[in-house]
Amino acid sequence: MSITIDWLAFVQVFVAAMLATVLVVGFYSLGLRLLVRAGRVPVVGPAEFTDAITVITPKDAQRAAKAAAKAARKSPLTPAQRQIAAIGAYISFGLCGLAVLGGLLLIVFNH
Amino acid sequence: METATLIVVLVIVLALFFDFTNGFHDTANAMATPIATGALKPKVAVLLAAVLNLVGAFLSTEVSQTISHGIIREDQIDPNAFLPLIFAGLIGAITWNMFTWLLGLPSSSSHALFGGLIGATIVGAGWMAIDYSVVLSKVILPAVLAPLTAGLIAFTATRLAYAITRRYDTKPDGRDGFRFGQIFTSSLVALAHGTNDAQKTMGVITLTLIIAGVQSPSQTAPELWVILACGITIALGTYMGGWRIIRTLGKGLTDVKPAQGFSAESSTAATILASSALGFALSTTQVASGSVIGSGLGRRGATVRWRTAGRIMVGWLFTLPASAAVGGVMAVMVAWLGGWGILIDAVFAVVVILTIFLLSRRNKVTAANAMSEVAESGTAVKVTRNPPPTRRQRAAVRDEARREKEVSK
Repeated sequence: MSITIDWLAFVQVFVAAMLATVLVVGFYSLGLRLLVRAGRVPVVGPAEFTDAITVITPKDAQRAAKAAAKAARKSPLTPAQRQIAAIGAYISFGLCGLAVLGGLLLIVFNH
Repeated sequence: METATLIVVLVIVLALFFDFTNGFHDTANAMATPIATGALKPKVAVLLAAVLNLVGAFLSTEVSQTISHGIIREDQIDPNAFLPLIFAGLIGAITWNMFTWLLGLPSSSSHALFGGLIGATIVGAGWMAIDYSVVLSKVILPAVLAPLTAGLIAFTATRLAYAITRRYDTKPDGRDGFRFGQIFTSSLVALAHGTNDAQKTMGVITLTLIIAGVQSPSQTAPELWVILACGITIALGTYMGGWRIIRTLGKGLTDVKPAQGFSAESSTAATILASSALGFALSTTQVASGSVIGSGLGRRGATVRWRTAGRIMVGWLFTLPASAAVGGVMAVMVAWLGGWGILIDAVFAVVVILTIFLLSRRNKVTAANAMSEVAESGTAVKVTRNPPPTRRQRAAVRDEARREKEVSK
């Protein structure tokens, strides 16, 4: 009785998962970075405060929103540059979504 | 013939019960992180997880085929004798799950299922009835490698997310936006869970149907009703398990930041989905735990609490052989006592299920006993409140000091 192991399959899983994660996280992070550059800092408060959340309080969220607005007013970029940054941000979010969709379609049509 | 039909029905009922407990247990794993960071309301998170588990059950059937057409050599077994062994294996898996749940030991439902099945088959049909190549390459090696893979990927992704969004001018960095992104990544984790965990029960039921002669061995995919039954059961379990989360979720994850949660979930979902596509039967709990530890280490100034990490890993390693031993004992009853053995096993299963039910009603849910294993694995990483400065921050401090020195001269 011989035991054969397909080591290549493990490499495939690692490469595919690493590539997918880096693309998703990278594009999403880039989108956020460009959004901040465009003066549109996202302030997303927690949906509900459970006892597990110590990350941000409503007061902190308000303070963050004020700081974001202040930073946007003081942005050294011209309106056109900001517009380009915002477009770049939405393209990044779109690419992130496409990476997810592509991965799922690959799984559905590959089996 | 009637006895065989009765055993098939019993196996399907028991397999679906196992599927339900799997969903019940794993809701916390999929949704603990987004709830802990406040990305989703607990009730919405639980409902979303249930629906996506159902969708995931239809996405891929590779894992189901690993179990129904891989682990056990159907040509080496006597069909009539094997049906009670699957039943014994399932009882072994459920018993081990209950035992670890009562003692609060880290365990994996999936490995308990494989262990129970393998143990019962070895005792009842001999060593040659197991295909060790498949067991090693599709169960044991993925069990060891997948959490490490997920951890390494989560570490890289967390570093990447922080590096891209880091600002050196103390202005808002927009990392709050990861909280919104977590709605999608946690949904992907729930979807991935459906593609892997729901498939395991499908595989057991399909194997039973093939042995009983109801399904042709050449048909590798499960029947539609099997996919539907398993999908709905795991979704129902996921939804019903939500109440545990609503009370205490993510107690150990209080220190998880949205960027970190986003990276951990992306890594978990990608690892499980890629593995499911190749038919690797993973423990989703272990993959999610690996990601949480990896993403924790991806933050500056983080260190591993090796004692906690070691305790979790020892629990994982014990699951497969221990549940195999319990499955083997159940199979011994069947092999020695025949019909009486099946009856004893069935009574034992009813007692175990009733005990789980009564204890779950009696035991008050507290932070100590309802914390998900993924949340618990988060405690294996220690993150300092004041992380050390980055290379660029250190350079900026040095420049500032030099400038001050020059001005004072």
